[in-house]
Amino acid sequence: MNEAVVMSGSVVMPGGVSAEPGMRVYNQKLGMWVFLTSEIMFFTSLIGAYIILRFGGGAWALPAVPLSEGGSPLNIQLTALNTFLLICSSVTMVKAFASIEHGDQKGLRLFLVLTVLLGATFVGIQIVEYTVLAHEGFLPHCSAELAAVVPSCHLFGSTFYTMTGFHGLHVTIGVLCISWVTVKAFRGGYSKENHGGVEVVGLYWHFVDLVWIILFTIVYLI
Amino acid sequence: MNSTEGNLMESAEKKKPNYYFIWFLLFVLTVVEVGVAYMSTLPRNVLILVLLALALWKATLVAMYYMHLRFERLRLILLATAPLPLAIILVVVVLLEYAQ
Amino acid sequence: MATVEAVAGPVAHAHHEETGFIRRYIFSTDHKVIGIQFLFTCLFFLAVGGLLAMMIRWQLGFPGKPLPGGSGLPDTMAPQGIMLPEFYNALLTMHGTFMVFFAIMPLLVGVYANFLIPLKLGAPDMAFPRLNMASFWVFVLSGIVMLASLFVEGGAAGAGWTAYAPLSAVPEYTGVSLGQQLWIVSIILFAASSLLGSVNYITTVINMRAPGMTLLRMPLSIWSLFITAILALLAVPILAGAVIMLLFDQTIGTTFFLPEGGGQPLLWQHLFWFFGHPEVYILILPAMGIVSDVLANGSRKPIFGYHSMVFAIIAIAFLGWIVWGHHMFQSGMNPLLGTSFMVSTMAIAIPSAIKVFNWLGTMWRGNIQFNTPMLNAIAFVAMFTIGGLSGIFMASNSVDIFIHDTYFIVAHIHYVLFGGSLFAIFAAIYFWFPKMFGRMMNETWGKIHFALTFVLYNLVFFPMHVLGMGGHMRRIYDPTQYDFLQRFQGTNTFISISAFLLFTAQFVFLINFLWSMFKGKKAELNPWRDNGLEWTVPSPAPHGNFAVTPTVYRGPYEFSSPLVEEDFLPQNVPLDGERAGVGAEG
Repeated sequence: MNEAVVMSGSVVMPGGVSAEPGMRVYNQKLGMWVFLTSEIMFFTSLIGAYIILRFGGGAWALPAVPLSEGGSPLNIQLTALNTFLLICSSVTMVKAFASIEHGDQKGLRLFLVLTVLLGATFVGIQIVEYTVLAHEGFLPHCSAELAAVVPSCHLFGSTFYTMTGFHGLHVTIGVLCISWVTVKAFRGGYSKENHGGVEVVGLYWHFVDLVWIILFTIVYLI
Repeated sequence: MNSTEGNLMESAEKKKPNYYFIWFLLFVLTVVEVGVAYMSTLPRNVLILVLLALALWKATLVAMYYMHLRFERLRLILLATAPLPLAIILVVVVLLEYAQ
Repeated sequence: MATVEAVAGPVAHAHHEETGFIRRYIFSTDHKVIGIQFLFTCLFFLAVGGLLAMMIRWQLGFPGKPLPGGSGLPDTMAPQGIMLPEFYNALLTMHGTFMVFFAIMPLLVGVYANFLIPLKLGAPDMAFPRLNMASFWVFVLSGIVMLASLFVEGGAAGAGWTAYAPLSAVPEYTGVSLGQQLWIVSIILFAASSLLGSVNYITTVINMRAPGMTLLRMPLSIWSLFITAILALLAVPILAGAVIMLLFDQTIGTTFFLPEGGGQPLLWQHLFWFFGHPEVYILILPAMGIVSDVLANGSRKPIFGYHSMVFAIIAIAFLGWIVWGHHMFQSGMNPLLGTSFMVSTMAIAIPSAIKVFNWLGTMWRGNIQFNTPMLNAIAFVAMFTIGGLSGIFMASNSVDIFIHDTYFIVAHIHYVLFGGSLFAIFAAIYFWFPKMFGRMMNETWGKIHFALTFVLYNLVFFPMHVLGMGGHMRRIYDPTQYDFLQRFQGTNTFISISAFLLFTAQFVFLINFLWSMFKGKKAELNPWRDNGLEWTVPSPAPHGNFAVTPTVYRGPYEFSSPLVEEDFLPQNVPLDGERAGVGAEG
């Protein structure tokens, strides 16, 4: 084995010799970061379309203005709570990671379960929100009654459901992945030396939270 | 897995942030955001700027402390933020074309 | 999921010898097998794209005449074999779609990124072998959906491969509904496949280079594939978002691109071309990298200006993000914006020209070996130059007023995509065939194929510059309806006949390829006397690639080095006094 070679922490190849140092971050983590940059671009297309259509266009329904006066049909209070829940799930996720970094299996399991519950609740509340909005006629293509009251209603509906829908899809996938990690954690699949899976799924989860922080502001509050 | 990777993990540990404090900051910023959104007395441009700044602050906290970018090598930060200029170029150029 | 499995994976495979046929050749995680799977699949799609082109050329060369074999087509497409305008639109749409997404891009990236990256970097496989396998099978699914769209009611998508809204968004405008929707679903699947590939290629290049293989000792083929993977990583998601919005406009009543709902048709164009321009660099950069490798080898000389070649690849990729508006010069944009796009577009000519001059410098006074890969690579340089020059004319906002949407653009596209990318693909196929299949392709028939293809291809596409300058528009079903185009009908017929001959000539390649796989001359370890790490392992390369991880001592272009007697010096051969230079940079 070539002792002069710097061990990179990436895949150890047959023969026992390692690779050039590279990013000095193990493969799965680097791969997740690379994937997240593509996700940034994907949400850019959806959020960018919203920004362009809204701010390059005509009148738009404002938040905190009554619906009858052409205000936004979105429920800010409920979604603010939901935003807080998602942020809480980010805390529990990073606490799970911090736990296993110390070898704390119980902490890992507890915080992972909390993360799954909080994430699932977020999705649940969003489904409730969608149901209420749909009932009011706020849809990807608004009802005629609502479109008469809310300016740019069709565009609002189009962009709202596309952005939050795909974000919700990402959250759902995240909940499923974290559930899988949780099951593995309960089976003792992670240790202080070996917990890359927790870190990597955590990165994805924080990213999803980050996107929501942006979305909540520019869709609900502005 | 091997000693260096163990070292990588340990060095991240030594600089571990206070996650609960960041959580408290995020909570406060969210409350402030919602409050500001209801303040109809503010001029619209100022309102938008303030809300965007608050949102970006929260996003940066999550990226820096929960995703640990604060403790990673510069090249990883560059990799993670590389798409942002592209996103900004796309949105700004097209928005300028069509803003009324 | 963590590193334990990642370590166990390649090591376990190296010892496991009893995998069945299915695991070894169908659902394989071996990057080489996946690369070859892409090769077969994409050559098939290349043929499909070519067939569609032949049908287009039939209509243009012999307008209104019954298509040979066309009586078999349904009346919705070609009653009595005479194709309808709607069918013609579907043909040109699907020709572009299949060629761009299912032939050229995956032939360069799916095949050669997969096959070459681990081999040329000294790695046993990709960073994520199972994701790699998923990438191929999702691609196959995407291709099946796209093929299926040819046969559905209403016909295939007919809004161009660029799918401009609202033509593509409103079924009433084209009469096509399901066909366009399937097109979109296929593109979404394609985007997923591309993403999985990009993540793999980028992680592997960054993290899995053998000791001594610093970034600046990587072959240019790998540099170009690496940068291409980054372009694809960041550009394809924009396309995915855009087609999702288009699908929603068609199906669930959203109004992103529909003016009657407050939407913006031009938003589609901006989103599409923001993806579309980096896409065309995805289509050419790997070709350039491959050509660099083949030219240096065929000239028995180091590549001229390696560092400036790397710089040029990065500069082209960088600038490629801020030129997308040149596809939309005539869309009514602010003239100031148009000017800025013009300037950035012309600026891209500079790194491109650097590359062309460096290729010339590589060949200058070289000991040129006129083998088949080399012939194709030299042709690339000349044809890409022509394509690039026509691009300069198009870059001018004012000149584009006259040539936009004419055959001048079609000529440009095909000079860079066929004269450029496809010749490079041919060079690559001949060059790495021995490493893939353990046999050589036949040289004589390779040269015959090259000569026929080169001559006929120029006869097909060069006259299109003249057509375009004369005002002959593109995507037109019947040019004879215009008086001012009557004089070009002879040229159109000439082009069509040349095209039929060109298509026929490809059978020489096909037969050579298939025959050589089984009956070709058995290949030695390093038949081209090249320096790359892939030539240090047996032909065909074995599972796991390297019995012992190589150590790299130098760059890949040490041909005719004064240090040794042979005219090549592989990267992994230590000489007295030379250091591996490990860990110099990441």
